[in-house]
Amino acid sequence: MENKPGALARVVGLFHQRGYNIDSLHVDPIEDFEPFRFIEDELGIKFQVGEVSRLTIRTTVGDKLMRQILRQINKLIEVIAVSDEESTYLKGILRNENLL
Amino acid sequence: MKIAGNDILIQSLINEGVEYIFGYPGGAALHIYDSIFNQKEMQHILVRHEQGATHAADGYARATGKPGVVLVTSGPGATNAITGIATAFMDSIPMIIISGQVQSHLIGTDAFQETDMIGVSRPIVKHSFTVDKQENIANIVAEAFHIATSGRQGPVLIDVPKDLTNPDDLFDFVYPDKVHVRSYNPPTKPENHQVSRAVDAILASERPVIYAGGGTISSNASKELRELNDLIDAPVTNTLMGLGVFPGTHKRFLGMLGMHGTYQANMAMHNADLIIALGARFDDRITNAPDKFAPRAKVIHFDVDHSSVSKIIEADIAVFGQIKDSLQAINNHLKTKIDEIDNEKLAPWHQQISDWKEKHGLNHDLYKIEDDSGPILPQAAVQHIYQESQGKAFVTSDVGQHQMFAAQYYHFDEPRKWINSGGLGTMGFGLPSAMGVKLAYPDEEVICITGEGSIQMCIQELSTCSQYKLPIKIFNINNLALGMVKQWQDMNYDGRHSSISYEDSLPDFVGLAESYGHVGIKITKNSELKKGIAKALSIQDRLVFVDIYVDPDEHVYPMQVANGSLKDLWLSKGEKT
Repeated sequence: MENKPGALARVVGLFHQRGYNIDSLHVDPIEDFEPFRFIEDELGIKFQVGEVSRLTIRTTVGDKLMRQILRQINKLIEVIAVSDEESTYLKGILRNENLL
Repeated sequence: MKIAGNDILIQSLINEGVEYIFGYPGGAALHIYDSIFNQKEMQHILVRHEQGATHAADGYARATGKPGVVLVTSGPGATNAITGIATAFMDSIPMIIISGQVQSHLIGTDAFQETDMIGVSRPIVKHSFTVDKQENIANIVAEAFHIATSGRQGPVLIDVPKDLTNPDDLFDFVYPDKVHVRSYNPPTKPENHQVSRAVDAILASERPVIYAGGGTISSNASKELRELNDLIDAPVTNTLMGLGVFPGTHKRFLGMLGMHGTYQANMAMHNADLIIALGARFDDRITNAPDKFAPRAKVIHFDVDHSSVSKIIEADIAVFGQIKDSLQAINNHLKTKIDEIDNEKLAPWHQQISDWKEKHGLNHDLYKIEDDSGPILPQAAVQHIYQESQGKAFVTSDVGQHQMFAAQYYHFDEPRKWINSGGLGTMGFGLPSAMGVKLAYPDEEVICITGEGSIQMCIQELSTCSQYKLPIKIFNINNLALGMVKQWQDMNYDGRHSSISYEDSLPDFVGLAESYGHVGIKITKNSELKKGIAKALSIQDRLVFVDIYVDPDEHVYPMQVANGSLKDLWLSKGEKT
């Protein structure tokens, strides 16, 4: 997600607002972009150091709710991409989604 | 040319083509108000309460499709706007809210009229911005309009610290031609494989229903929907938010579905083999118990919002994109397969629907009652309003029984004519939203159908209507109590009417309207109804407040039986399917 004031609060707020639970949470700015080159390629953008953060949230839910959580997070304007072990969502692009 | 932050903000709004800005001044917004004073392109509408500003901007947006714009000060000005922002958010209405904020160096110090408006509004906006420096104001406004009006539309808030609108600090002003937000990329056109799967399902169906909601209106897809219906001849039902997107008088129209939907609409959905959902989100007022919903139906879900699909009801086929683009793609694809379309196979389905309508359809002839031995039925009042306005008016409503009667008995043949708070169910919405509609369409008839409970939640706006000479026609369906709550208490709490009555303390609405300079009319008998409503509508240049006393014990039917399926309906007091 974009490393902007308030971006983290939007994600955390979403969990509370929609009744999802957070088991653990970790956030830091991304310094090594190598694992994220496919996002840059797909969206046609280039990340600069300090611009984006990675947020890791652990939560315990079933598949259907997990899909809904990912889609809700993907809707937040400052989120660039979101994924779990099976699916990856990029803005406007749905990759590897198992269901549809 | 260099200009100050306050002028950059106002010039940016003018660049976006804003005609009206609805607001209320206060300390933190004073520099911005000074800029408004110094220009002529945009008119500020001074409301009497910030909730009224948001609803007026919302009504303007719903009627025109253009974003409504609101300006409020910090603290209480901002928090008073919250209900209207939440209303717009739930119905996906494009809106820009500019809230003043205390000076940057005071933020976080509990300064006078300081509220964390970004925090307070976070769950009920599509996005929000805090202005960090004057050089960014133009870009922030452009991004806010882009986000509010694209994808699934919604309210966007801009919080502006007072020092950043200081008239003494000057900056270059260049308004961007277009904006791109790299982490925001809503779908527009559907993918081909989705379209062909949807078309195959449509061609295979024998009992299809088109279920169209508010997203079909936001996407301006009324014409495309009619074209789809011309091609496949499927019956169409609309949600409360979708009314008007398909002509209410069309022979294939089933009426509204859901909690107070028609018998034939709910039965058709329950028995369908294919549900074509267009910009509708299967909310709980539609589905009743989701596990019993439409057991034999395949679902094709068209939506611009990924997260709406398979949220409540699992979709078999999803078509992501603006409804207009998706329907164009579907219609074009269907036209290439015109030989495979066999609408004659739908004949038994149409016959079945017509039998349901015959059996338990709504009675649209109640307006013929002229006998004064019984009380006025609220349904008859709405039918008279429909007749006397020739079905052509913009109709706003508040929330409660009158809203459901208006949705059931006023047939809307065009989109954007029916303006109501569907998702949030906000009492107080009707009058201020009518102001926004009337400003947008001064030559059109604008009617507010309300109740004596709802109207009192924003009745202060009668004063705004005097100031700006807005000749709205208000029909107050007066049953002397909070009718919908009373109905639930009758049905679920053995008639224990807890806190729903204020009969002895209601104002004299005619006198009240007159005190603001308006015309008041009181109707208490069936024999006066037609004449009174016609008289109100004949007065062109004045606001008319028509206080109609109706049967205090009437209920809204049909009504879904709690936790049942769509076929489980109350049809009248004590009578169930």
